[in-house]
Amino acid sequence: MSLEPMPLFWLALTLAAYLGSRWLYRRSGRYLLSPLILVPALLLAVAVPLHTAYAEYARNTHWLMAVLGPVTVAFAVPIWQQRALLARHWPALLLGMLAGSCVSIGSSWGLAHLLALDEAVSLSLLPRSITTPFAMPLAHDLGGVPELTAVFVMFTGVLGALFGGTLLRWLPLRTPLARGALFGVGAHGAGVSRAQEVGREEGSVAGLVMVLTGLLNLFAAPLLAALL
Amino acid sequence: MNAVLLKKLTRLICELAVLFALFLFGSQLAAWSGWPIPGGVLGLALLLMLFASGLLKPAMLQAGAGWLMAEMLLFFIPALMSLLDYGSLLRDEGWRILLVIAVSTLLVMVVTAVTVELVCRWSLRHEP
Repeated sequence: MSLEPMPLFWLALTLAAYLGSRWLYRRSGRYLLSPLILVPALLLAVAVPLHTAYAEYARNTHWLMAVLGPVTVAFAVPIWQQRALLARHWPALLLGMLAGSCVSIGSSWGLAHLLALDEAVSLSLLPRSITTPFAMPLAHDLGGVPELTAVFVMFTGVLGALFGGTLLRWLPLRTPLARGALFGVGAHGAGVSRAQEVGREEGSVAGLVMVLTGLLNLFAAPLLAALL
Repeated sequence: MNAVLLKKLTRLICELAVLFALFLFGSQLAAWSGWPIPGGVLGLALLLMLFASGLLKPAMLQAGAGWLMAEMLLFFIPALMSLLDYGSLLRDEGWRILLVIAVSTLLVMVVTAVTVELVCRWSLRHEP
């Protein structure tokens, strides 16, 4: 269905759903009400019965995605503020990020082929472990579909934030560094929020590692593209 | 009260303008140079250099950068709606895709955490 008379309908609904869900989540603290889950669910619940195409939804909302560029620039602030932590622990963090990224890309690729997934889907799955502002350009470089990657990144965040707490109980991790890296490399932004609930140092480590892993993957893109 | 709020808001908008300007400059630089690096990443590198040179202090951009990172979710929600065009893909492959993401995410978390933990313990033992 076309909503020609209301060109800003989807933008208004997106903003309203986001603000409402953020307010609800802050008040209730229930994970199912977090904007990461509730907003896409709500928008889909309205758009699917109306048979709205993505192009129609995106017409007046696509510029929101353009803000991901300045978000990338803003990542310089946590890097700079945590530079002492990085200088002290760079070998452990670098090895952890390298190992995590290799496992992420390798296992996504291997499992996708094992389960005979579509080629475009497999390629879009490769950057799923890094934060969206880095994952979308990386998907583009690798020949995947950036929008699909954003969807996979979201599911990674939702699942990773759920798994993380359980893993912390099972794994004998004594250092806040390891606990933070688990969330930062495994579940990007959603993981960083969880890590901040675990502890202040875990939160800082997770935030730093999330940004650096994104950069690391982006710079590894030409190598990865040559391998594929 | 209102004057304080107005001052805060003006400050936030100025900080956001600086971050947007860095992004635009980074994008221009990427276009001129032909480097295969996104404009945002060049902007990030530029901002790190400004911090290192002392021309800018992180505290000057704290509100703007914090706001962008806190509300990041809003900026990628439109991309999630691409699901609208992939209904049949999800029906055919949805469960398999979720399985890949779940298993791979578990593996990444375990391997990353264990690697960092082992390197930390090793370096603690070998520190003088």
